[in-house]
Amino acid sequence: MSKPKVATDWMAGCAGCHMSLLDIDERLLQVLELIDLRASPITDLKEADESGVVVGVLEGGINNTANEHQARLMRSRCKILVALGDCAVFGGVPAMRNFFTIEESLRRAYIETESTVDGFIPTDPELAVPTRVRAVSEVVPVDIYVPGCPPSADVIFHVLSELAQGRIPEIKDDNLHWH
Amino acid sequence: MYQLKIDDKEIEVPEGTTVLKAARMAGIEIPTLCDHPALEPYGGCRLCMVEIEGARTLQPACTLPVSDKMVIRTQTDKVKDARKFILSMIFSERNHFCPYCQVSGSDCELQNAAYGEGMTHWPIQPNWKPYPVDASHPYFVLDHNRCILCRRCVRACAELVGNFTLGMEERGANTLLVADLGVPLGSSSCISCGVCVQICPTGALIDRWSAYRGQEKDVSSTKTICLGCSIGCGIEVLHRDNNLIKIKGDWDAEINGGVLCDVGRFIPMDEKRNRLVTPMLRKDGALKAATWDEALSVVMENFKPFINKKEHGIAAIASTRLPADVLYYYKQVFEEILGSNMVTSTEEGRYTAVLSEFAEHKGPFESKLSEIHKADTIMTIGLDLTKDHQVAGFFIKRLIPKGTKVIPVSYESSGMDAFTPHSMIIERNEDLAFIQALDAAITGADYSKFAEKSGISSQEITEIANLLDRSKNLVIVYGTDFDAKQKRETVQSLLKLAKKLNAKLISPKGKANSLVAEQLKLNKPFNVNGHKAAYVALGDEDPSQAVIKKLENIPFLVVQASYQSALTAKADVVLPVTTWLEQSGYYITCDGQVQLANKSLQSPVEVKTNKEVVLAIADRLKIIVNPVWDKAVKLENSVVEID
Repeated sequence: MSKPKVATDWMAGCAGCHMSLLDIDERLLQVLELIDLRASPITDLKEADESGVVVGVLEGGINNTANEHQARLMRSRCKILVALGDCAVFGGVPAMRNFFTIEESLRRAYIETESTVDGFIPTDPELAVPTRVRAVSEVVPVDIYVPGCPPSADVIFHVLSELAQGRIPEIKDDNLHWH
Repeated sequence: MYQLKIDDKEIEVPEGTTVLKAARMAGIEIPTLCDHPALEPYGGCRLCMVEIEGARTLQPACTLPVSDKMVIRTQTDKVKDARKFILSMIFSERNHFCPYCQVSGSDCELQNAAYGEGMTHWPIQPNWKPYPVDASHPYFVLDHNRCILCRRCVRACAELVGNFTLGMEERGANTLLVADLGVPLGSSSCISCGVCVQICPTGALIDRWSAYRGQEKDVSSTKTICLGCSIGCGIEVLHRDNNLIKIKGDWDAEINGGVLCDVGRFIPMDEKRNRLVTPMLRKDGALKAATWDEALSVVMENFKPFINKKEHGIAAIASTRLPADVLYYYKQVFEEILGSNMVTSTEEGRYTAVLSEFAEHKGPFESKLSEIHKADTIMTIGLDLTKDHQVAGFFIKRLIPKGTKVIPVSYESSGMDAFTPHSMIIERNEDLAFIQALDAAITGADYSKFAEKSGISSQEITEIANLLDRSKNLVIVYGTDFDAKQKRETVQSLLKLAKKLNAKLISPKGKANSLVAEQLKLNKPFNVNGHKAAYVALGDEDPSQAVIKKLENIPFLVVQASYQSALTAKADVVLPVTTWLEQSGYYITCDGQVQLANKSLQSPVEVKTNKEVVLAIADRLKIIVNPVWDKAVKLENSVVEID
């Protein structure tokens, strides 16, 4: 049996979940023996293979049109979609801004911040359009939710090794933390 | 007894048991949120829904009484789906993002319930409506965004404390927890007892002091008793790395059942006094650090010429917050060995001396505090239970909605007035006339003269006399804040009236070991006339202005204290001692229950316990003190039976 292909990507998050992935340390070697890590933000290849992967992992919530595109692309190219971390599962810390309007958030970030001089809100048409922060499941269907801020290295190792061995991981008891 | 089957487990429970309690007896956990063992069942959150054979729909376990042969299932798919649905609805209502919540990790009952159901996500996302945060209270913060509207706080405020500050306004999704008629908590009728904070299942009510200083699983906990007054409430002291994190009421404590007042819960957290960490000696006019050996030698040197010199000898005064054994050792050292004629306590018998006079002849005449819980009528006189001994006040206030008639007697409007229509505001210092008026009214004598003197109309005296006379379980909670000139006579008339009415008498007295100080006869007024030296065993108490003034011209002053004060500043020798949290010792409540206070924190290295210091002095005098303090305490008749 060939090794299952896995691709990951990050959106509106802090990269902490990917840091936690690296925190599985020497067990990474065991994981890499079992899976074929194709694309990820921390490797050269950035997008999942057009021919498709078995597992797609998304970190972060969806807070603009670019994230929407990333999520849809990953969903269309993977069989099993994993929402990794509180932002992907719930919206997480970035979702705090949902309690304000987007205009308020932009004004605060680009104009009112104490260190900003002559600030302005960028309007370049090339830029993605900000939206309300959403959990991944609000945009595309999610198969496996792995909450945690971030999920611990042990939880990530558990998820990857279960998937690599053809089982759907169950997140419960000591592995279940929303932080 | 009813036979039931819960998840195929047979169990027999008494009639009237709820399904939830029956399940717990059978060792089956049913998740709950709005339910709390200290509160009446409420049935608000619906998390405890179970399947009952024969019932058309799921039923709430917390409010449903069992019936015979009932078959209950708590783990079916239907039940589990319902639980998940209820939790999903609660999570979707407000801001329940865990990563930035104070209680996330183990202290949140909502999070624990979700984990218990294996929820990895929210099937329904929140609606992003921001709710206000009320940070107006000095001791805690109310974040409506975290509130699940379970009403535990509202019920605790009403059922346990009888204060009725908290309530709900609006309906449905707009429902909001409010103080009074929607004022900020800080300017509401809140009395800062903090029971709402202790009972909140989520992070909606968080204590400012302990917030973000560790989950309960990360901190150590010591069960002990509060030394704020003589009620003797059970508390749990949470500490981490020898830092005081939080004080909680002990739900299992028989006396208070988890309830505390601000004196027990919040005020000790806000300790601002400077700690004494080393013995100090006055050298060239200034206090300088010294060793214990040097300090004790100086004490002995200066005491020696005055041993047995009575009114020209050594005056001693000790705090009633000190443990019973320490007070007994202190009495032996100063009275018996140093032959002082002025050995007393900081209370100077203010609340107890007059009562002992009657106990000498009558024997114990007071009842246990728990009699309050059974009372149908309660009169309070000579004290204000909304200022001191507040927990006794809570016991009384919470009975009012159940029909207990409460008659607070005072000179001016008190915190009790809002809760009872029977408040009696009498002329200052006319308690005696008021008692005499009631006595006469009950006997059928002419009471108009007394009534007029007390400032209460004859009609009101009749009404109150009637209430008292018709009651079946009358309790009189009294203090001794009476006119000094007629204190004895007032107490005597009160005892007479109580006897006539077959009333139970309870007096909360003063500080933690008020009764012990009285029994050891450390109850004299503190007078320093011609004394050549003084010893003040303050412990962690603040010295009163009166004591400071009386000691103004004392030639040699030793102060045994935990904190710097105006008195230590004047001392010739300062002996640093442990605070209430750093020592263990025995305390006797106002109603005679002996309790052990446990040590929660380590003291600074150079600091000794109060016991060690008194014993060190005994040692220097080459005497061995009698350690049997409990016998000494029971030597004289007490106002209340001592266990």
